[in-house]
Parts: sequence; structure tokens; C-alpha cells
Amino acid sequence: MNSDAAKEILSAYRSRDRDGADPIFHEALNQMESDSELKKWFEERQDLDRAIRGKLAGIEPPADLQAKILARIRGEKVRRLTLPPVWLAAAACLVLGGIALFYSTRQVESARFQEFKTDALAMVSVQGGPVLDLETPNLSETQTYLRNHQAPYDDALPSRLKSMETAGCRAFVWKQYPASLTCFRLPNGMFLHLVVINRDAMGDANIPVGLKSMGDWHVMFQQKDGMLLMWATRAPMDQLKQIVVKLGRKRVLGVQEVAGVQRGHLPERLL
Amino acid sequence: MRTELDLERIVSELYSPLYRFAFGLSRNETQAADLTQETFLILTKQQAQIRDITKIKSWLFTTLRREFLRGLRTQSSHPEVELQPEHQDQLVSDSGVLQASDAATVLEALAGVDESYRIVLELFYLADLSYKEIAATLDIPIGTVMSRLSRGKEQLRTLLAKTTATDKIIPPK
Repeated sequence: MNSDAAKEILSAYRSRDRDGADPIFHEALNQMESDSELKKWFEERQDLDRAIRGKLAGIEPPADLQAKILARIRGEKVRRLTLPPVWLAAAACLVLGGIALFYSTRQVESARFQEFKTDALAMVSVQGGPVLDLETPNLSETQTYLRNHQAPYDDALPSRLKSMETAGCRAFVWKQYPASLTCFRLPNGMFLHLVVINRDAMGDANIPVGLKSMGDWHVMFQQKDGMLLMWATRAPMDQLKQIVVKLGRKRVLGVQEVAGVQRGHLPERLL
Repeated sequence: MRTELDLERIVSELYSPLYRFAFGLSRNETQAADLTQETFLILTKQQAQIRDITKIKSWLFTTLRREFLRGLRTQSSHPEVELQPEHQDQLVSDSGVLQASDAATVLEALAGVDESYRIVLELFYLADLSYKEIAATLDIPIGTVMSRLSRGKEQLRTLLAKTTATDKIIPPK
């Protein structure tokens, strides 16, 4: 192999850790041992490559890009997963007529509600945790902060949740509606996120009841005092049930009851 | 039986180099972010068609480049008002993406490299692809990748030497 051929091959060499094991480079790398001019050329090229990569590393993706991508992927997964039941429902419509149609249309979420759900999940699923305005373990401090910033919040949480530490809170605006995020620390170290927004922000959307899985997230929606509450956690669904479902009256709802319950049968706190 | 892709892991590992590559192509923060998102969405939709999961990386860069070129074709059939050069500079420097003017200097020099070499260099430097991955992405022989890298790097070095940041980038001899 002559020097020019070795240079051409070595132009494709990145670093020892990435390309050191590739046999295509071995002969050219060995040739450097006996060719000082080639070795000097190669070292200069490696320095230049490192310098260029270092400069280009200044191109940083937007901070929320990863979360947005993950949210869109999860949305697409949910859409694809829910497609077969929709087709099944359509087929059932042919057989059962209007009754099945009634139930299937009830399950259709408005685009606005879907968008809110996606945005809220994107916000809380940011790598390293969501951005918070106030970091404090004290729930009352988060409530004071949210009140001072005219953000909606639930001031009637049960004592079980009030005794939990928070990571903090954030006041934000979604489509011109003030909203808030409060993050609770669960006993197992995971987080439970509570997003609160005025119910009017969803227009006439039919808000689904019951617990849902979205990727590795478990979410639940509640309507309360004109507000829409979205609970989200990566903790096991049972844990979310224990905490959130028991927010209602002391009567404990069973799993089946919660997942399949009709709106009129829920305790008022869950509606 | 084929296992489902771990999309979240793939996003975590590759969204930054994909974004950098998209930014190198478009020189626009918004367009680069859109291209990156669109590419992963296409992967989500078409993952069942990907037979060799070891080639996901090349597939993603190929798809992003194809989407960028498709966007260019759409723009050319529906031309928009052309930005003046000084406005283009403004677009890049105001984007907040470039932490330092050094990156802009390198991108500017890259833009001056012959097109056939430039894409290979962008995949090498911005996307950090190996020569094999570049060959798979562009569907060209490995030997062609190596010769284009060699000639492209020489052109880039010459162009960088002409910039004011020469002494920062070109190592002293």
C-alpha cells in the first residue's frame, strides 16, 4: 500500500474506540510505524477532525425536542393500538346498529383534548424531569406559588396526598388558559404529576374516565370544580389507583369499577 | 419472530446527531427540528418494514435526507419569497442554536465544499457515521465514500484556512 492509498483509507478513520477494531484500517495504521510523514499527516488530520467535531457540537437541539418526539411517537402508538377496536366497532355497527355506534362515538376524544393530553405528557416526560418554577418539598408552598401566579390548583387534596413531599410546581399557559403542574414524590421515589387546567380549555370534548396506559405512563383524568385534573405517573398502575382513586369518598372503587364505570356512577370528586 | 423496536432508546441515542445533520442541511432551527420529528414519526409508522434493525441508524439518516430533498422539491414547485443573504445570516445567528460562532464558521466552510463531497462530510462530522454507514445511507460503494472523504476533507481544510478562525481550527504545523 502506498502512502496516498493509506491516506485515503485513514480519512475515514474516526477514533480508536469507534474504528480501531475494523480490519480495513489495520494495514494503513501499521504503515504509519514505518512512515513518519504519514504519521505526522494522520495526527494533523485527527486534530483537525476533533476540532471540527468540537465546533459542530455547539449545534444543540432545542431543549424540548426529545420530549416532543417521544410524545408524537406515543401518540402514534396509541392511535395504532386503538385502530383495530375502532374497526371492530365499525363492524359491530353494521350488526348492532345505532347502539354500538352510540358507544363507539362516546369514546372519540376531541382533537383539542388529545392535543392537551399529548402536550401535558410531553411536559412531564422530559428527560431528567419537567422544568419547575419552584422546587420545594412543601405542598402548601406550591399552592401559594400557584395562587400568586393565578394558576389553577386543587386546594382540596386528601390528607394522604397532602402528607407527601413535592418536588415543586410550575405555572404555565396552554392555549391562553392558565394551567399548573405539581409534582409529588411517591414513597418508592417515583413521581406523580398533577396537571390542572380550566375545564373550558377543552371545549365540548368528552373527557374519558378511568385509568389509561400511554406507553410506560399511567394517566387518569378528573373533573372537579370547573377544573380538569390530569394525573400521570410511571409508577405501577395499582399505585396510581390507590392514590388517585381513593381521592374520592371513602368507598374504595374496585379495578373493574374504575375502568368501566359510567360517568353517572362515579363519586362526585371523580367527575 | 421479529421483536418490536425500542423506539424510545433509539430516540434518546440518535435525536441529537439527526438534528445536527438536519441543521447542516437546512441551516434553520425550526426546519431541522421538524425534519427530526418527522423522521422518527416515519420510523414509528414503518418499523414493521425494517428487516435489519442493525441498519436503523443509516435508515434514519437516509429518511431524513429524503424528506429534506422532498421538501426542497415542494418548495421549488411552490416558490417562496427568497431571503436576502444578510437575512439568511440573521436566521442562523439569531436561532440560539449555535452556541458559538465557531460552528457557524465550520458550516459556512462546509457549504463551500463540492456537493458530492459535502454530503459525505456532513454525515461524517455532523452525524458521526462510519464509512460503512455513510455508504449504506447514500447507497454508494465504500471506496467512493473513502475517496470523497479524503478529497472533501482536503477542500474543507483549504476553505477553513481562508476564514478568520483559521488559527483556532487548523492545528499548527
